[in-house]
Amino acid sequence: MLPTELLMFKVKAGLVEPRRLKPTPSHLTLVSSLVNVFESHLNEKRFQLEEDFRALEVGRSDYRVVRGLAHLLANDNAEFETGGLLEPNLVREKVFELAQGAPHSRTRTKRVLEEASKRLQLDSPEEALDLLYADLNDQQRLVSFDPPDPVALLQRFDLAQAQGMLYRAYSLTITAHRNEPARYKQLLKYTKLFGLMVTVEGDADIGFTLTMDGPTSLFSGTTRYGLALAKFLPALLHVTKWDLSAALKPRKDLSWVDPNDDEWSFQLTSEDGYVSHYKEPKDHDSALESGFAERFGKLDTPWTLEREVDLVPVPGGVIIPDFRLVHEDGRNVLVEIVGYWRPDYLKKKFDLLRKSGRTDVIVAVSERLNLEKAGVKTTDFGGRVIFFKGVLNPKTVLELAESVGKTSD
Amino acid sequence: MREVPEVVAHLFTWDARSQSFRAPGQAYREVSELLRGHLVGYKDEAAGFQKLELVFGREVTPYSHQVEGLNAWKRANRQGVVVLPTGAGKTLVAQLAMRDTPRSTLICVPTLDLLQQWYSGLLSAFPDANIGLLGGGSHDETPVLVSTYDSAAIHAEELASKYGLIIFDEAHHLPSDFTRVIAEMSLAPYRLGLTATPKRGDGREVDLNTLIGPVVYEKRPEELKGTTLADYKEVHILVKLSPSEQLKYDELIALRNRFLFKMSIQLGSLDGWQAFIKSSGTPEGRKAMIAHREAKSLAYGTEGKLRVLEELLANHPGERTLIFTDDNATVYRVSREFLIPSITHQTPTKERHAVLEKFRSGAYQALVTSRVLNEGVDVPEASVAVILSGTATEREQIQRLGRILRKAEGKKATLYEVVTQGTREERVSQQRKGQWKPAGQTGPVWESINAPD
Repeated sequence: MLPTELLMFKVKAGLVEPRRLKPTPSHLTLVSSLVNVFESHLNEKRFQLEEDFRALEVGRSDYRVVRGLAHLLANDNAEFETGGLLEPNLVREKVFELAQGAPHSRTRTKRVLEEASKRLQLDSPEEALDLLYADLNDQQRLVSFDPPDPVALLQRFDLAQAQGMLYRAYSLTITAHRNEPARYKQLLKYTKLFGLMVTVEGDADIGFTLTMDGPTSLFSGTTRYGLALAKFLPALLHVTKWDLSAALKPRKDLSWVDPNDDEWSFQLTSEDGYVSHYKEPKDHDSALESGFAERFGKLDTPWTLEREVDLVPVPGGVIIPDFRLVHEDGRNVLVEIVGYWRPDYLKKKFDLLRKSGRTDVIVAVSERLNLEKAGVKTTDFGGRVIFFKGVLNPKTVLELAESVGKTSD
Repeated sequence: MREVPEVVAHLFTWDARSQSFRAPGQAYREVSELLRGHLVGYKDEAAGFQKLELVFGREVTPYSHQVEGLNAWKRANRQGVVVLPTGAGKTLVAQLAMRDTPRSTLICVPTLDLLQQWYSGLLSAFPDANIGLLGGGSHDETPVLVSTYDSAAIHAEELASKYGLIIFDEAHHLPSDFTRVIAEMSLAPYRLGLTATPKRGDGREVDLNTLIGPVVYEKRPEELKGTTLADYKEVHILVKLSPSEQLKYDELIALRNRFLFKMSIQLGSLDGWQAFIKSSGTPEGRKAMIAHREAKSLAYGTEGKLRVLEELLANHPGERTLIFTDDNATVYRVSREFLIPSITHQTPTKERHAVLEKFRSGAYQALVTSRVLNEGVDVPEASVAVILSGTATEREQIQRLGRILRKAEGKKATLYEVVTQGTREERVSQQRKGQWKPAGQTGPVWESINAPD
């Protein structure tokens, strides 16, 4: 990601458009000049690189492009280290000690450094001066550099700019369509990881809306969760078929911003060509499910097993089924397989399903524990529960599907 | 929680996301007072404050303004802001408030220097107390916790229920978007704000009323001048390019231009700049590039300011001198060229301690720093302060003045403000923002050293 001062965007009628870099010859040339700066300054100090970056950016109205790309390269592809034989803080201690006793002046400086270099057994006064602040960030040496694929760097830049738009987001709404459960599960995992709260509404026909914010968003729009939303964006990019709309607090600190703007909006869709650098989720998240899909494939039946499922919104949460069964005649059923469970988890799940009022969800529960003892009443969930030992037989699921399947419109 | 008692219903909001009623932590005091006032029975699972008995490890004799401030705060039900000039002993007011409000206490401060300073101050005031730090690499969980605003904001959720008293040092920092959640999420029924000036550039000081409480006590520097605080005088020095510098500037630009002309490079365009940079690999090109940079630095007036600094240092031999700059680059330039010890936010904690200690003891006669020492850091008995081009907002002025206002025996403190004469520096910065219009300009046209956008 990029610091706020390197963000580039336009605002048109309240809509923000982050800067994107197409792999044009001029951008690719810029990338190669930047890569060249890194490669030609190997074992040199950071400020020496900075000087070249500054030089590259002078005269450009889009100097933030240069700085932004350099920032990403320095963070992701380069390694810097503090050099020198003597600890800089020891050099400072000695030099500043010797500099006392008379008013500080630049005419005295050379003599003091000469004295210091003798006492510290350095080769020259210049070396003493060089070591004085060798531990500063900009005095560190570039020790290694691993050049990226130029196009991938431009993509990282685009994504970082888009993420930056969300720093000032106070809510984010995603409209999504039927999709693979693993994608949604990863998405929800990331919302939890970043301390976000998500409210799911709607159905497969009109699309699901996922509204994301944080606990205190209830009281007032807050940008407190903006950073979390920004980190969440690359996870969303692994899901297909969505569009996103975020409400942003305008940047009043910028002179070109209309002071009357009181809200900006950032909109994005899965088709906008942004590329995630987060790991892609696996298609099947457990052996249980992949085994079931495999066995189902060998059956001859008018039902097909689909990986793309509907979300089932429930008060205070959402259930993500594992499969969707679709009959030739249009009937369809959602299937959730619960392999490993704790009694309170299962109780809550049945509670939620009952509250959702959905009758087209079949739950298959692995019978590894004594259910009665766990306090789970199987009658609570009509006849839409299957208990299985070891392997889940697709035929059992289909029998139940025949009786509960609803006609799709 | 299934239902909310009617007397407090207006403070809660239904949260469909979690299927529960929710109120901000800040409502805690009002909720519990209303419930108790209406004799509604309730079970408190929110508050996690601890009782805390603090005993001073040394004799303390507060000044009258410190006692008045403390009492005013207590009368305001222990919610409010005490305004005292830097150097007037705000810390002792806070320590007295802690002793008299025996609950676990969170103290928020704006900088790492203040973090260390409060920490060592509390350790020596209350030797038996369990005191910890949050921020600057520490993450303690203690009944007395000193934290930076940033760290407290990041961890606002986990801190919210643990502290009965919150002290906000330099409280004008609190109302910003990022840090105000510390006060909003916290359950703390008792809140004390301390500041030399509650004013903010954005006018949000009014939010302190709801986040902490009203201003309950206020004393201006003039009211304490000569009593608790040292007397001081202010001197403003305007720096211009000297005739020889102007000449030097012209020479440097001419040298650069000769090279550019020879190479047929035009700086007005991006290609021109890239060509200039490419050619700076040759010795001649390098020379031209260096000339360009020197000219630029001359135009910013840094050299002129350092010349004034050199003179001031010579005029105050043996006097403890603090030098402030606008940016870290200038701190390090002053430090390298004059061999004056420095402190910036990049200085390691241990070293910053040692440097401050040596300055305090007189082992170091001068210290150069950027804005890190602007606020509240206890640097006693500096009698000369030099500000190299500060931005003149009222808040900063007062904070910076505070640095040298420490009472020093028989000393009259002097504050020098060294500013570059506006025109050229401003023109460059306005030009960068695209606001500069040369129209109506009199005198010679200053050559643009930044290529146009």
